[in-house]
Amino acid sequence: MSLKKFSELFGDLDSINSTNNKIEVLKRYFLSNEPIDNSWAIYLLTGKSNKRFISGRYLKNLFSQIYEYPQWLIDTCYLKVGDSAEVITLLLKNKTTSINKELSNISLNELLSETIPALAKLTEEEKNLEIKNLWETLPEDNHLIFNKILTGTFRVGVSIGLITKSISKLINIDEEIISHRLMGDFKPSIDSYEFLINKNINLQELNSKPFPFLLANTIEDKIFKNSINDFQFEWKYDGIRMQLIKRSGNVSLWTRGQELVNESFPELVEKMSYIKDDFVLDGELLVWNLKEQIAFDFSLLQKRINRKSPTRSIQIKYPIIFIAYDLLEINGKDIREIKLENRRIELEKYFSKWQHKTENNISDIFKICDLIYPKDWSDALTYKEKSRENNTEGLIIKKKTSTYSSGRKKGIWWKYKVDPMQLDAVLIYAKGGSGRRAGLYTDYSFALWKDQELIKFASAYSGLTNIEIKELDKWIRKNTIEKFGPVRSLKPEMVFEISFEKIQISKRHKSGIAVRFPRITKWRKDKKINDADSLENAYELMKKIS
Amino acid sequence: MRTKQEDLIRYSDGSLYCELADIWIDPSKPVKRALITHAHFDHFTFGCEEYISTNETAILLKERVGDNIKIKTFEYGEEFKINGIKISFHPSGHILGSSQIRFIFAEEKWLISGDFKLQKDETCKQYEIVKTDYLISECTFGLPIFKWDESNKIANDISKWITNSPEKTSLLFCYSLGKAQRLLNEISQTNFKGNIYSHGSIHKMNNSYRELGIDIKDTIKIENKKKIDELKGSLILLPPSLSKGSYLKNCKNIQTAFASGWMSIRALRKRSGYDKGFAISDHADWDGILEVVKHSEAKNIFFHHGDSEALSKYLVEKESINVLLFGK
Repeated sequence: MSLKKFSELFGDLDSINSTNNKIEVLKRYFLSNEPIDNSWAIYLLTGKSNKRFISGRYLKNLFSQIYEYPQWLIDTCYLKVGDSAEVITLLLKNKTTSINKELSNISLNELLSETIPALAKLTEEEKNLEIKNLWETLPEDNHLIFNKILTGTFRVGVSIGLITKSISKLINIDEEIISHRLMGDFKPSIDSYEFLINKNINLQELNSKPFPFLLANTIEDKIFKNSINDFQFEWKYDGIRMQLIKRSGNVSLWTRGQELVNESFPELVEKMSYIKDDFVLDGELLVWNLKEQIAFDFSLLQKRINRKSPTRSIQIKYPIIFIAYDLLEINGKDIREIKLENRRIELEKYFSKWQHKTENNISDIFKICDLIYPKDWSDALTYKEKSRENNTEGLIIKKKTSTYSSGRKKGIWWKYKVDPMQLDAVLIYAKGGSGRRAGLYTDYSFALWKDQELIKFASAYSGLTNIEIKELDKWIRKNTIEKFGPVRSLKPEMVFEISFEKIQISKRHKSGIAVRFPRITKWRKDKKINDADSLENAYELMKKIS
Repeated sequence: MRTKQEDLIRYSDGSLYCELADIWIDPSKPVKRALITHAHFDHFTFGCEEYISTNETAILLKERVGDNIKIKTFEYGEEFKINGIKISFHPSGHILGSSQIRFIFAEEKWLISGDFKLQKDETCKQYEIVKTDYLISECTFGLPIFKWDESNKIANDISKWITNSPEKTSLLFCYSLGKAQRLLNEISQTNFKGNIYSHGSIHKMNNSYRELGIDIKDTIKIENKKKIDELKGSLILLPPSLSKGSYLKNCKNIQTAFASGWMSIRALRKRSGYDKGFAISDHADWDGILEVVKHSEAKNIFFHHGDSEALSKYLVEKESINVLLFGK
């Protein structure tokens, strides 16, 4: 019954722009479907898991094999559509031979808890046959959802916030509570849905879940009119934002992406469990240079993120630290409603107690963030400019009287980031975009001069307006030198200002340098390619910083 | 492979040209003599000394650009001769009056498909299969991802889209000539029984269709755009050019959709800026093009109007059909 309804819901959400209408559609959906299907719907819509059962490439090959379609033709179609699941859905049209009565009524729950997981247990041959069978018996309207779930690419323009709002309106309970209930692990089941829509608020039930994270906004000019004394200043670290929770003696590490990462950082879990109190701390995980008391580069942290059960030598080679900047709960008491300045006092008090009273030494793996005390706003600016020296990204500014709410709430926290580094570079390659940008050339590569040669140094996808993208796409098609599959090499003619956060030596790149977060900040139509920067300029920039 | 000197019809300055007859087909700049396949503006240019088309196309064109053009008309299937070349128009099913054009010279047949579709459309003559040796075909939608749904299914979707939002005015953007009338014809056969309004440019074409004997549902002409917001539960047909710019600036209570074959692709739908897209086209889809290629029995094919690379390769590899490129 409800896979069809879920397909309709997807279609509706995909074609409605107004937030209020989306909420109405969601409410209607939740009211008219079974709790178990609702639970799966929430699981999919919030992107709690996008498990890939088979790859897009596999899907395309399978289609090509079954229906004797040349692979190149499917690839050409892909360039226009930008999504494997959708290409196959479009190609599958009119291939449904016998709509099986049972399958036309399949529920979202059956599909996700039985049909698709069952595929994993089959041999490749059986699996292929079964997918063909499903393609030909599922009603056509369900193909897109089916293919997207198979390839783990289910996405629709709905944020967690929107789901939160819909459920909150559905049962008339504060968004903050729903948001908290949605944090962390969400296993689709009747129980998890009933828990979500339970009208009785029982804080005990939220015990295993992190609090919704409070996020900083970009700095606004009006803040400079306020007294500097109204704010708390911290360095903005470039690590993993994390809530460190110890409740009933159990330590859990939750990232902002709501992943439990205990297994990646066992040494932190172990040491924190020595502390006698229970608590919830908000902070940042970093790879730490103990000697100089500054963070190592983010690239070292990457060596730890995806590695579960790291060996002792990895732990020594990439030593981590958790820097707490806020205390949200202490011994079972939620203190988020207390003012920041008072939470800071509590944080300092407990930290000092833990440092002195804990039997094992915890100070090499856990500290609280130092505060900065600028005299005035121009002094704050000076601090910000110096932030690269200690490997931070700038400052975080927090209103001392603020409580800890959730989301990107305005007027509480701001990030005051150091200005990006910039180079003017020449566009030399373009590649077709995918997803929403399918059919347009939106992935660009840029080069810098080395003697008389242009050497690729960065790729960027973002920064141009839609109008500029269309204009550049037209230019690219007219100024292609050669095509290599989806990539075109271009006549060197266009100069762009590229901004980035970090620059470092890299042996993997021909240019010898790697930059972090490169993006286009200006289309320099006023510049000729000879005005573009050289690799030498890039090296100078690197020297200046370190 | 033939060289371009031998071709009866070739590509020149972005248009098709028959040198032997000194006649251009849908030229994009003023010439002496122009054959016009149909009355869409991208197939017409001012300033030609003489135009030749079907009767319906002539009437529609004059309605759009005024009486100040010299048009000679012929019936579908009626043969006329220019410099010894036999020429005739045949229905192409694209819009009212649209035609394929066949040339016969020295036992050799050439067929220009014009814009065409095979799908049902009660507002114009059905596509006629014409046999030929050489086929010059459009291929706007020449990829297998393009497969049209039956037009009555789309009309039902449109009807549902309107009735599901009774508190809003539904604006459906579509080409004012052809698409609008086809949609009106289909929508009037659905469950939607509310009022239908249309923009002046569409209203004018509706009248012309009616004068030419096509039964089109009566619509109310939009006189005052300020009222659009108040027409809750109604459908308004508007030309796509009005979706951007200031026309709808003060409308708050609306939902918008675009009716076009391109709307079958999600990325294009998202980029279009409309709330919703309905994939309905007056061009042939992939299967339609293949069917025409097959039934025309053409041994040699040229493609234009579209990205023909994949389609050509497919025909050569899978169907062993000789696809030629216009000599450049």
